[in-house]
Amino acid sequence: MAKITLQNIAHSYNPGATEKIYALNPFDMTWVDGGRYAILGPSGCGKSTMLNIMSGIVTPSEGKLLFDDVDVTNVSTSERNIAQVFQFPVIYGTMTVEQNLAFPLVCRNYEKRVIAAKVQEVAEALSLQELLKKSASKLTADQKQLISLGRGLVRDDVSAVLMDEPLTVIDPDLKFRLRRQLKEINHKYSSTLIYVTHDQNEAMTFAENIIVMDEGNIVQVGTPAELFERPKTTFVGYFIGAPAMNFIDCEAYENKTVRLGDVPISTDTDISSVKSKKLKLGIRAEYIKIADKMGNNRIPVSIQRVEDLGSHKLVTAVFNGINLKVKAERDKLILSDDVYLELPPENCCLYADDTLI
Amino acid sequence: MSLFYSTLKYLAVTLWSMFVIAPFLWALTTSFKDFQSVTSGATYIPWVDFEPTLDGWRSLFKSPAQGGIAIVEPFFNSVIVTAAGSGISIILGTLAAYSLSRFTFRVGPIRNGDITFFFISQRIMPPVVLSIPFFIMLGKLGLLDTLFGLVLVYVVLLMPIAVWIMVDFFNKVPLEIDETALIDGCNPYQAFFKVVLPNSVPGIIVAGMFCMIFGWTDFFFAFILTFTEVQLLPVAIVALNSSITPWWSLSAAALVSVAPLVVVAFVVERYLSKGNLSGALK
Repeated sequence: MAKITLQNIAHSYNPGATEKIYALNPFDMTWVDGGRYAILGPSGCGKSTMLNIMSGIVTPSEGKLLFDDVDVTNVSTSERNIAQVFQFPVIYGTMTVEQNLAFPLVCRNYEKRVIAAKVQEVAEALSLQELLKKSASKLTADQKQLISLGRGLVRDDVSAVLMDEPLTVIDPDLKFRLRRQLKEINHKYSSTLIYVTHDQNEAMTFAENIIVMDEGNIVQVGTPAELFERPKTTFVGYFIGAPAMNFIDCEAYENKTVRLGDVPISTDTDISSVKSKKLKLGIRAEYIKIADKMGNNRIPVSIQRVEDLGSHKLVTAVFNGINLKVKAERDKLILSDDVYLELPPENCCLYADDTLI
Repeated sequence: MSLFYSTLKYLAVTLWSMFVIAPFLWALTTSFKDFQSVTSGATYIPWVDFEPTLDGWRSLFKSPAQGGIAIVEPFFNSVIVTAAGSGISIILGTLAAYSLSRFTFRVGPIRNGDITFFFISQRIMPPVVLSIPFFIMLGKLGLLDTLFGLVLVYVVLLMPIAVWIMVDFFNKVPLEIDETALIDGCNPYQAFFKVVLPNSVPGIIVAGMFCMIFGWTDFFFAFILTFTEVQLLPVAIVALNSSITPWWSLSAAALVSVAPLVVVAFVVERYLSKGNLSGALK
């Protein structure tokens, strides 16, 4: 395993052009040895490019890649000791499961005895013992994906296991089991796991740290709780959480108070030094309380829709023409008139020019 | 209704089979006839319409001096030229196709697609256009009327087929297979030979079959570029057409010339119907 550092890394698919178009804008990042990360973002945001730069499939047009402080930017893929699992399982169809698992060790000229022991160990970890002698091409999609993963884990010296939306082809039940298995593997082998996905649930349940990307930029790095509680940009607020964070345009009023329409709302954020006029208040549906009379930090709304989602109710309320989503308890009685929403100060995030203050 | 369509389907298949098989049956019965049976009107059923004889088949192995047609040597000449021409074409064609599929080439305005078309364009030209340059070049090299000269010409003729089929095949092989092999520790050559090539056997077999068919059945270049020293099977068979054609020997020789292709077709049939890369991805 190794610490992976990306120093001012950027990638453009037209590097010689006067006006470069970046798939990945310049950034710095360090992946701690043994960490469990998820790269989250919409399709085309540069997630896979970042992964391919680390594995060596793509050479970055700018910057350096360091494994344990050794520059490997121009080192070939095979010499990097990286394992990568792609979106669709890639198996060597002409080989058995055992030969597939052994392949990375065979390529590195390991002793037969060592290969057999490692293959057995990984097969046990992934519950593939029964299938070892079977032709890999005859397995189901999820079994094949396990083989792809197994090829990554069979090497002791692997710097990191990179996974590019590896559970896309897996059915939901098995996805859950595999995510748990991946976490166990992370604990057992202390391997750095980097997991690319556009599914926030997958990222939140799998990773210790999540890197949110958008349009070739790293927008925020943080734990699932940090991303949920304090999204650094409105994009992260929209992207993380279901439903997305509520955003309401507001004006600065006092040091820690903003005005939503005519209603002053207190927050925990000091905005005295903020110059931007374009302010937004963001609050999660989970933190908004429904009240039946006006009070501090409450805004009058009309109820547009109430959806019973089984575990809770999802209320759509309208304030000054803006739809706000509120999660309410399942047995909460929602009136249609005289409804107010309370926005607790500690849960209100303020954004200037779409960036958290 | 389904019975009607089913009947219609089987009827169509039966009619088409008869249409295809009839010439073979005709050649087969003729190969067991003698001069009388061939020249005294149409006869069909052995032991009823005519008395079968093995004279036609025996003549294949006898020299002209013994009254035979001696096609054993032309047969093996054809085997050598076709096997060598196809083999070299497949080896070079597969390597060229892999490069064209995986790497980007750019020479001025020329790109990968243009290079692939250049290969294919060799087959677009009428053979007669190529025959004169081939004749002159082989003549200058002293390779006219030699097996080696024919092998060289066949490589030129067959490699475009191999490149064409294999480029298309490799384009369908997911790039992730190569990338995974590199990640697993192969260098680009090992990735090709250890992973991509074994997965490409169906494509290679299909390309090989087409090369063999075109090589084995070529008459034009075999006729133009050989005289007396080397004779290939198609030329030897056509040479039997004379003022008194020995139809029984001709039929036996024709069946012998078709037999290898029929065997090859049966062997590779399962690769033609099977998905090229079944199970490699997804």
